[in-house]
Amino acid sequence: MPDVRLMLFSILREKVGRGCVELRLPDGATAGDAVDVLFHEHQHAAPLRSHVRIAVNCEYADGTCQLRDGDEVALITPVSGG
Amino acid sequence: MQALTSPEVRLLVSKEPIDAAAECAFLYTPEAGGIDIFIGTTRRFTGERETVELVYECYTEMALREMRRLVDAAAEQWPVKRCCIVHRVGVVPLAEPSVFIGVATPHRAEAFEACRFLIDSLKREVPIWKYERYTDGSGEWVGSGMQAG
Repeated sequence: MPDVRLMLFSILREKVGRGCVELRLPDGATAGDAVDVLFHEHQHAAPLRSHVRIAVNCEYADGTCQLRDGDEVALITPVSGG
Repeated sequence: MQALTSPEVRLLVSKEPIDAAAECAFLYTPEAGGIDIFIGTTRRFTGERETVELVYECYTEMALREMRRLVDAAAEQWPVKRCCIVHRVGVVPLAEPSVFIGVATPHRAEAFEACRFLIDSLKREVPIWKYERYTDGSGEWVGSGMQAG
């Protein structure tokens, strides 16, 4: 049962109302599963789902990435630095 | 302020105004014959919309790692002798720099190409977000595809 931390930024942080969400996931859960849980609980943010890239422990990762206890999963909406 | 620095590479995310002269000084080295610099600043008008200020948010730990990855990718393609990427976060008033990218290489063509690669890649890859605040009281997270609020 990995405990993971979701990190939210910019418009997604505003829509959810927090920059950080703690989740306990079933064994074998993937980064994509964690993202699904968030959007299931915050359906008004759902239009952002298809725009989000996932990062696990500060590196871009695939949704199939299997999570371990203590992982930090960031939901990266389209970036606009510069 | 958070930074990753070495004698050749300086990566910085900070709320403080960017000191362009200090960043330039870092880039000077006898190994280079050309330095190219890109500075992004807060523009007042985009079409007919007037901007009051920009506000940047950053996932700093990952941003510094992504910047490092981009500098390494540039160094594989061009003979980069010195490089700096500095991004300001928080409020950036009109006309002030939000980003400073500088590359020093032996010859100018390499410096131009590497600098362009770095700013173009930063805009696609580095987790930094820009909120644009307009004079009519509205605002938006640029490129997010949804209204803020």
